[in-house]
Amino acid sequence: MPNLLEVRDLSKRFTSAGGPFRKARSMHAVNGVSFDLPEGRVIGVVGESGCGKSTLARLILRLIEPSGGAVNFDGDNLLAKSPSQMRKLRARMQMVFQDPYSAIDPRYTLTRAVSEPFEVQNVTPKKPMAEEVADLLEMVGLNPGLAASYPHQISGGQKQRVGIARALALRPSLLVLDEPTASLDVSVQAQIIGLLEDLRTDLGLTYLFISHDLSLVKYFCDEILVMYLGRVVEALPETAAPARHPYTRTLMESTFEPDPKKRRLIAPLEGEVPSPFDLPPGCAFADRCPNASALCRTETPVLSTETGHAVACHHPI
Amino acid sequence: MNVSQMAIRSLDAFARMSIGRAFASGVGMVAGGFLILLVLVAIFAPWIAPFDYAAQNLMNANAAPGWPHLLGTDEFGRDVLSRVIHGARTSLSVSATAIAISMAAGMTLGAAAGYFGGFFERAVMTVVDLTWSFPDILIALIFVAIIGPGLTSTTFAIAIAYLAQFTRLTRAQIVRLKRETFIEATINLGAKPSHILLKHLMPNAIAPVIVVGMLAIGDGIVLEATLGFFGLGAQPPTPSWGAMMSSGTAQLFLSPWVIIFPGVAVAVTVIAVNLFGDELIRALDIRDRLRGA
Repeated sequence: MPNLLEVRDLSKRFTSAGGPFRKARSMHAVNGVSFDLPEGRVIGVVGESGCGKSTLARLILRLIEPSGGAVNFDGDNLLAKSPSQMRKLRARMQMVFQDPYSAIDPRYTLTRAVSEPFEVQNVTPKKPMAEEVADLLEMVGLNPGLAASYPHQISGGQKQRVGIARALALRPSLLVLDEPTASLDVSVQAQIIGLLEDLRTDLGLTYLFISHDLSLVKYFCDEILVMYLGRVVEALPETAAPARHPYTRTLMESTFEPDPKKRRLIAPLEGEVPSPFDLPPGCAFADRCPNASALCRTETPVLSTETGHAVACHHPI
Repeated sequence: MNVSQMAIRSLDAFARMSIGRAFASGVGMVAGGFLILLVLVAIFAPWIAPFDYAAQNLMNANAAPGWPHLLGTDEFGRDVLSRVIHGARTSLSVSATAIAISMAAGMTLGAAAGYFGGFFERAVMTVVDLTWSFPDILIALIFVAIIGPGLTSTTFAIAIAYLAQFTRLTRAQIVRLKRETFIEATINLGAKPSHILLKHLMPNAIAPVIVVGMLAIGDGIVLEATLGFFGLGAQPPTPSWGAMMSSGTAQLFLSPWVIIFPGVAVAVTVIAVNLFGDELIRALDIRDRLRGA
């Protein structure tokens, strides 16, 4: 399969201007991230909160302007596009947001919310708009009778379905899912994940799935990128691959096992995540890593892709 | 469906609207009802007023309230009731026009400042805050000096006096709304800035601005009366509540009705506007959104 998305050395540095009474500060929210997303596959991005995974999603969709790197979407370099070219391209790359509660304008009925993509992109649907809206609602498992409702009249899970319907209205090829289930009840999470799986096969979608829930990512994705403080520290080519980075292993070992026979002691990570504003030299994980050596504290490990299972560690497992 | 059914339907729909809900409480109904009545009186003043507001009758000057001059006559023998009724026209139209101008300008400036941010925002807000630092009377005097005394000067003075309030409030709303996920989601659909601003930001920002506008009309009436009192507003013989009170000071003890009735008109109107404004805030549930602006 050809690559739908190619991300090369993508970086974002946020700076706050200094003044007479404060120092100028800058942080690397995303630092040199590269990966390929072939058509039809699902890549998961996992990491703790604050590791830059949501920023990465917004850089790829150019909702935030990157500081450096390249994003190629279906052969087009997104960063070279003018604002109006970019607006047209957005129809083909959509996003489902973490917080369904504020993802719909509170003054919009579901009909208006779901038909807005057509209005914005100046596209006339093949069917009459009311039918198109009903079809979209049905596609995401909502009763078309809800079309006249306002967001405050429906549940969080239903809101997230509306968010998915809006994202899919223009039949995009890429869907970025930014923790689409993080603010939902567990039972509703399962329904949304099921829906996303069905839609993927029915519409031939390509997903970039962002989550902090490793077990969910292992279930849902084909490949996994593990992020720590703005960098990809490990790229698992398949979900069953054993962890090579100590951080990934800790993440995998901190999931709860429902089977009592398989239960083991969970060893929580010691220490704090360093402040992204003043990262220590060397490996950002060194202070929390059981295997850290003197080398780890002086030299930043690079993501080596030689073995097909890339890991950024001086002492991989 | 016959006409009465349609009337009931539309009344019902109005009651369910947020603004309609402001009439639901006793206070809201009395204050709102009074304001509607006042607007009708102002519109139909020439037909309601029993006498010509400018007709002098020096033989009957300073007559006490009675028949046929229910609220008495002033120092030129003009009917006070007719002048108070026509004064409602002056007060309401000047105040409402001024606030409408101020709201339109303030919303445009505030929305642009909040949406675009950066240097533009700082420039706009500095200039707007500067207008706030001048006393209202001083701004009115500047206009009087440029275009002479009259209702136009009064209107512009009131409009500028309230510009900062509308600009700041609108800007605060826009800045808050800009961070909502639905704005990012709509940008991601490929929406132009004009679509974001006009279809999402402004409709969500407008409710508190309208309420503040409503309350500002009350203040505008007081300001118009103040300017009129100092002779900077309506020029004789145009009746204005403030100018009437000013001329009444000369015979405060001889014929107090000349100053009392326009004063009562100002007070009752402003109280009604404020009470109704409070009911609107409650009905629209926006008390917390009016803070920090």
